[in-house]
Amino acid sequence: MKTYNYDKSTEWFKRAVKAIPCGVYGHFSPAPYVPIDAYPFFSNRAQGARFWDVDGNEFIDYMCAYGPMVLGYAHPDVDAAFEAQWRQSDANSVASPCMIELAEMLIDMVPVAEWAFFARNGADVTNLSVMVARAATNRKKIIAIKGGYHGTTPWMQAPGHHGVIPEDHEHLIRIPWNDIAALKQVIADHGDDIAGFIATPYHHPVFADNALPADGYWQQVTELLHKNGSLVIVDDVRAGFRLHMGGSNEKYGFKPDLICFSKAIANGYALSALVGTEALRVDAAKVFHTGSFWFCAGSMAAAMACLKTLQEQRGPELMAALGKQLTDGIVEIAANHGYTMKVTGEMAMPYLRITDDDNVMLQQNWCGECTKRGAFFTSHHNWFLSTAHTEDDIKHTLDICDDAFKALKEQS
Amino acid sequence: MIQDTLKARLNLNAVLRNLEVLPTLDEKAAEIIRDWSVSIRFRIRGDIAPRLAFSNGKCTYAPDAVDPADILLFLWSPAHLNAMFDNKANPIPLKGFSKLGFLKNAFPKITERLEYFLKPDEAALRDPDYVRVNIALSLYTGVFAVCELAQFDPIASQVIQQMPPGTLQLSVLPDGPEAHIVYDGQGHATAFRGAAKNPTASIAFRDRTIASRLFNGQLDGFGAVALGDIKLKGLIPLIDNTNLILDRIPLYLQ
Repeated sequence: MKTYNYDKSTEWFKRAVKAIPCGVYGHFSPAPYVPIDAYPFFSNRAQGARFWDVDGNEFIDYMCAYGPMVLGYAHPDVDAAFEAQWRQSDANSVASPCMIELAEMLIDMVPVAEWAFFARNGADVTNLSVMVARAATNRKKIIAIKGGYHGTTPWMQAPGHHGVIPEDHEHLIRIPWNDIAALKQVIADHGDDIAGFIATPYHHPVFADNALPADGYWQQVTELLHKNGSLVIVDDVRAGFRLHMGGSNEKYGFKPDLICFSKAIANGYALSALVGTEALRVDAAKVFHTGSFWFCAGSMAAAMACLKTLQEQRGPELMAALGKQLTDGIVEIAANHGYTMKVTGEMAMPYLRITDDDNVMLQQNWCGECTKRGAFFTSHHNWFLSTAHTEDDIKHTLDICDDAFKALKEQS
Repeated sequence: MIQDTLKARLNLNAVLRNLEVLPTLDEKAAEIIRDWSVSIRFRIRGDIAPRLAFSNGKCTYAPDAVDPADILLFLWSPAHLNAMFDNKANPIPLKGFSKLGFLKNAFPKITERLEYFLKPDEAALRDPDYVRVNIALSLYTGVFAVCELAQFDPIASQVIQQMPPGTLQLSVLPDGPEAHIVYDGQGHATAFRGAAKNPTASIAFRDRTIASRLFNGQLDGFGAVALGDIKLKGLIPLIDNTNLILDRIPLYLQ
């Protein structure tokens, strides 16, 4: 099977690094792409489940823009909805009725939602959720999960990161995932000062196996927190609308007080939403939180088209089925080559790891070999399925995986 | 207080420790110590008392040795030791009075040679032979500094708590130097010169020029990774977090 080269990507990167710190920063930084020469850095074309890099290499994309692409790139209905609204009015000096329509749609679709607030990125609403929790409880402390990610604002970054000061973490308490005893201890130690608990619906850290909630975990969490007068916040930025159209909490059978959505909500258009219960409406109204682009209506129109299409397609079920087909196939092919592939997390956004070494180097090399053959896999982060992936895509991907395992065998 | 303690440990366990390898890297250093046969202990009141020994053209540094030394230098505090390193105070000799001449006249020659290689100027960095020694000493200082920072620096000690167990190897290609740090996953690190048998993660610098530019603050590390000048492999969180700890060094050592 032919493998790709990335000469033009590299040339662009040489220009980038002179003009932009890191060249490409944040979660798009090439730093975790190992081996680096297996990955493209720049693309200007994407359609359906594929993108083409600046060298013209074609990829079946299993990162889906790290989540926002859920129906396929350049989805005609979503793009048409965006364009129609954008031509009519996007940025404006007053809000668009579109915002109300989208809020009403979320209230109908998400059982917990009795109101909705919109912003641009996931961190906008994770920050807001914490502010609402503090405002509603008059308490300071937030409990979060070790290794959990809720954006890059200082309070959410790990200690030691540049630009973060110890005081940023003064009121943040991290506990292990699925550890009810640790939660009880924190409540015992700080009960009167705990504003809320924030976590993703299941634990999906980077560089580590993902973990689903243990039976009864969320039910105990909500019971303990509510009994303590504290709020439960679900950060559904990454998983929202991939696992369940009513919010991932519906899949796991519990009711939080606040849910943060972004990524898949508008199929790539910039939008995030915080939804909450009636009891928090007044507190949410009192918190001042805004941004220059938070009222741009095009993204809101795109979100309505995206959510409607996802509902019609039964998107979460479809992505789970595609993910199962993909991961079952990879596990089988890996075994045929003498490797053990471990699959964790939810099938719509699975995390895979070869367990035959203790340093992820096999996994890195294999993902690199797959990417060089046209299946864009990263080794450090969960992958994403979309409704644009087809069974033929999966079949072709499995051929790539097979060839990549052969290459891996030859390297060893 | 912690600032002084940590700086003292860095001065001894990360910087002065380089005297073990300097003579193997630099002919002038080897010449300086060739005929020395003497041992020195630096005893900081209430703290560590490492021993430095010169014999048969070699130097050994033992951070926690109990063997007696020919010369015993007493420091009232970590701050006193740091002042000595900054040439602003003298130690109090408790033993080895007949060797005070050595301490005053001979010993500074090797520490000055060490300082010369660890504090480069632009002209020096144009000399490939200087760069070879500077890189090795900078790498070794860094890995040993990580162990001290992880123990005493308030931020680094939080960072190491987040790290999984594993061994991080750092290599300058094609032929070294190399060093590695073993993390126990419980907040402790141990550093070694040379290659690891089975690293969990690795950083490899394409050549000495790349390593030198990075160590001396002239290179965007992220950009260098993307261009393949620095190759990362394995458990990347070990690398990310080690970088965060290494970035604390300038807070204590200039």
